[in-house]
Amino acid sequence: MTRAPGWEKALRYLLMLVVLGVTVGPFLWQLSTSFKGASEDIYTYPPGFLPEHPTLGNYSGVARVVPVWDYALNSLKVALASVATNLVGASLAGYALARLRFRGRRVAVLAFVVALLVPLESIVIAQFTMMRDLRLNNTLVAVVLPGAVGALNVLLMRNAFANLPFEVEEAAVIDGANVWQRFLRIALPSVRGTLAVVAIFSFMGAWDDFLWPLIVLSDPDRFTLTVGLNYLHGTFQQNPRLVAAGTIIAVAPLVVMFACLQRYFFRGVGEGAVKG
Amino acid sequence: MRPHPAVRRTPAGPSRHVRTHRAISPWLFLLPGLAVVVAFDLYPFLSTVHKAFTDARALAPGDWVGLRNFRDMLDDEQFWVALRNSGLYVLLVVPFTVLLPLLLALLVEKRLPGVTFFRSAFYTPVVASVVVVSLIWGWMLDDRGLVNGILRFFGAGPVAFLGDEWLLLFSAMALTVWKGLGYYMIVYLAALGNVPRELHEAAAVDGAGALRRFTSVTVPAVRSTMVLVGALSSVAAFKVFSEVYLLAGPTGGPAGQDTTLVMLVQRTGTGLGGRVGYASALSLVVFAVALLLMLLVLRADRGESTS
Amino acid sequence: MPISPLSRRAAAAVPLLASAVLLTACGSGGGSGDDDASGRPEGGITFQTWNLRSNFKDYFEGLIGEFEKQNPDVKVKWLDQPADNYAEKLGADAGAGTLPDVVNVSPDLSYPLAKAGTLLNLDREKAAARYKDEYTPEAWQGNTLPGLDGAYAFPWYLNTGPLFYNKALFRQAGLDPEKPPKTYDELFATATALARKSGGKTATLAGTPSIEDFGRYGVRLMNADATKFTYNEPRGVELLGKYKELYGIGGLDTQALTNTADTSGQKFLEQKVAINPGSAHDLDTFKKNAPALYKELGITDAPNNNGKPNMYVMGLAVSKQSRHKAAAVAFAHFVTDRGNQEGFAHKVAVFPSTKGSLDDAYWTKDDGTDEGRVRVASAKILKGAVNYTPVVMSEEMKVILKNEVAKALQGKKSPEQALDDAVAQSDKLLGQG
Repeated sequence: MTRAPGWEKALRYLLMLVVLGVTVGPFLWQLSTSFKGASEDIYTYPPGFLPEHPTLGNYSGVARVVPVWDYALNSLKVALASVATNLVGASLAGYALARLRFRGRRVAVLAFVVALLVPLESIVIAQFTMMRDLRLNNTLVAVVLPGAVGALNVLLMRNAFANLPFEVEEAAVIDGANVWQRFLRIALPSVRGTLAVVAIFSFMGAWDDFLWPLIVLSDPDRFTLTVGLNYLHGTFQQNPRLVAAGTIIAVAPLVVMFACLQRYFFRGVGEGAVKG
Repeated sequence: MRPHPAVRRTPAGPSRHVRTHRAISPWLFLLPGLAVVVAFDLYPFLSTVHKAFTDARALAPGDWVGLRNFRDMLDDEQFWVALRNSGLYVLLVVPFTVLLPLLLALLVEKRLPGVTFFRSAFYTPVVASVVVVSLIWGWMLDDRGLVNGILRFFGAGPVAFLGDEWLLLFSAMALTVWKGLGYYMIVYLAALGNVPRELHEAAAVDGAGALRRFTSVTVPAVRSTMVLVGALSSVAAFKVFSEVYLLAGPTGGPAGQDTTLVMLVQRTGTGLGGRVGYASALSLVVFAVALLLMLLVLRADRGESTS
Repeated sequence: MPISPLSRRAAAAVPLLASAVLLTACGSGGGSGDDDASGRPEGGITFQTWNLRSNFKDYFEGLIGEFEKQNPDVKVKWLDQPADNYAEKLGADAGAGTLPDVVNVSPDLSYPLAKAGTLLNLDREKAAARYKDEYTPEAWQGNTLPGLDGAYAFPWYLNTGPLFYNKALFRQAGLDPEKPPKTYDELFATATALARKSGGKTATLAGTPSIEDFGRYGVRLMNADATKFTYNEPRGVELLGKYKELYGIGGLDTQALTNTADTSGQKFLEQKVAINPGSAHDLDTFKKNAPALYKELGITDAPNNNGKPNMYVMGLAVSKQSRHKAAAVAFAHFVTDRGNQEGFAHKVAVFPSTKGSLDDAYWTKDDGTDEGRVRVASAKILKGAVNYTPVVMSEEMKVILKNEVAKALQGKKSPEQALDDAVAQSDKLLGQG
């Protein structure tokens, strides 16, 4: 790898710092509000950035109002299930659409494109009725199902497989590997970056979803985190510090997950799986 | 450059059965995805299509009214305003959401100390709650907010960003571009990672300038991804809702002049008294235009790649 | 028996899912709808509140425990929905026939539900109607729906609010902070003075006039049978004209055309506007979140021209699809009976809707605290208060009013033209419903 000259490095850091300033502001403010003490005025104008009496009390406050751990566990189940089904379903479908020749391929692509564009708000009620008829309403399975294989993820995987050089697979074909072997042993490991993206998108989608779990779940014991945290917007009063702490609790797993997965973006074909 | 695929056992093992039914295997690959999409998206969507031709309410199925909803739309002043706003959104937002995240991805692609932190930080706008984000943008753009503070420092302003219909729309567009930065950045990062490294290195050895390297190596390498991002962000821009709703308010800005199509769908269709028939007709229009946009962008790509 | 819109549509042999949705809704509705409410309370029922679990969990669990002790054959399962998208949740449940047996509604929610035939008409159900006299006539009237011939929810808690003002901003503009406006004329005079003396920098109000403002100003909002809007009458035009003048001289916030109730509250908390209407329980919010403002907080009665203040009413409705109507009616009454309503109103600054409750010392004797003062003042207001917002006025019609008002303030239309247009558009929507 060629070494970047010093000035280029400096420029990169400078630019990154500029973007940093633009991007993390709201997040930091949210974080700061969540640490503000009960006696602090949070409606001063301009808003005070640093907490005067930092406290972790808001976090335990959230846990007092809302059974955070139970809800987080429900969310985790839903999100992990969604990641698993999306990884499997989207990579299988994406591979077929990008690499296999068969009649009806265009129709299949169109089906996913159309599905991507279906206005979700307009079909929620029909989906709910379907879940009720399947006797799945008020279950976490029903929360997962409609997003189990996202059309967007299928199209992302298709794009990734389509970009692989054909030579990679040709050798395997000559070796007599069948389509499943080529898919599992050659194609899939080459698109790990995109798999990571699909994992993040489906985790985030499931974790953040509000309207669908709200509609399909009735029993407060089964709520997911985003639905449960909505309880913090009290009917008669609300404490913005608790709301801020709640949003941090909801968002933190996503940032952690991103931090963990982002290294996979850089292990494409070129590098293969040389480094463990 | 032969990859060394991770040694993995296939769960089912190579089966003769699959090999003998080769024509079936594509459909086996597609089965899970298609099943979900057909059962939970396409099939329920048929009821939306049907409702578009009825005067259904949220709690009353209504009667068949033929094309009346579509004719009403033509007479609906708000519809034309919304169509204009959603269209403008696509024109002005998409170029930025295609290019800026790519530049950002190139910026953080190199392994530098601390770059992991920056990547994660750039992703935070994606996960930050839209409500909080719009609250803070609201503060920044307020008459006495940060942006006007800076303007005042240079002897300009104050500018009523949130009181003027056009400035409000442009502010919402900026918010959309900002929020999409991290999202599309990771799509690009993955694409850049999937591209063989040799291409980058060859160009570097050539001593090509940064701009040349960008146009002659990077862009061709991620072109299909740019097209995909273009298609996805066109659709997302056309269907914009939250950013405008939260900055401009549920009424769609002063006198409703910032209403977008999806906001109009929401306004007419939600609530227990919602005009579901009319909202479904609007949804169909949104759907049709989005499909057209998507096919246009994808078609343009195919045309280019064959030439 | 009148044919419900549901069955009429099902008969029309409509293809695909839409009709499937419908048939199943009818099926479950019809199958269980014959249960008699006058029998002995028994069976398992569900009880759904709207966002009360987080702060009042112990109260409701205690309540349910007590009811189950009194009625050993009834089992109550408590559900609670969070703040957002409650209407969508109710809509999905009503459409699919899974509405809870006892459900927390406000009149604007119960109207469409009742119209679709999913709620029990309490006036027509002997087992429920016999409790009518326990509630104040205004509260029962507040849950009575136009054109539907009866009340569809037991009155529950009420709310009304004073006008809050910022003494510091009054002082800065050279106004006497101890002399807040009492009538609309005084309000406009104060706003003009504030704007003039601060050079247009201090706005008085954060929002444009809402339908309640028109009501309090003495404008007739609808005709008697609630089929046509009438707020474009001269008095309404007059009110809008005054707001237009105010807007012109900076008496309204620069974002008044887009502010919602939430963002207006926010502007008041940030001390950007001098006056904002609120509720008794807002006091607690001010104290905790904006202590600086709380020190300068002034409280006065919301102005009104016809002696009838505005109030908000909550109710408990019984699902028509309930399998155990007797138990559901008994429980809905139990939660809203005098003792339990007063108990709840002691926990949070809301007001009971049962007869005689507000004569209790708790609501008549000022205990010297700010809370006590606001409580007593609000309780006094509540006598004779009405819910101005017409239940037939959908969210979309409220947006239409707000946007037409904005056009008038911007000078794009005359106030008269704007209100005429708003009424015409709203009437058209009403006619379609």
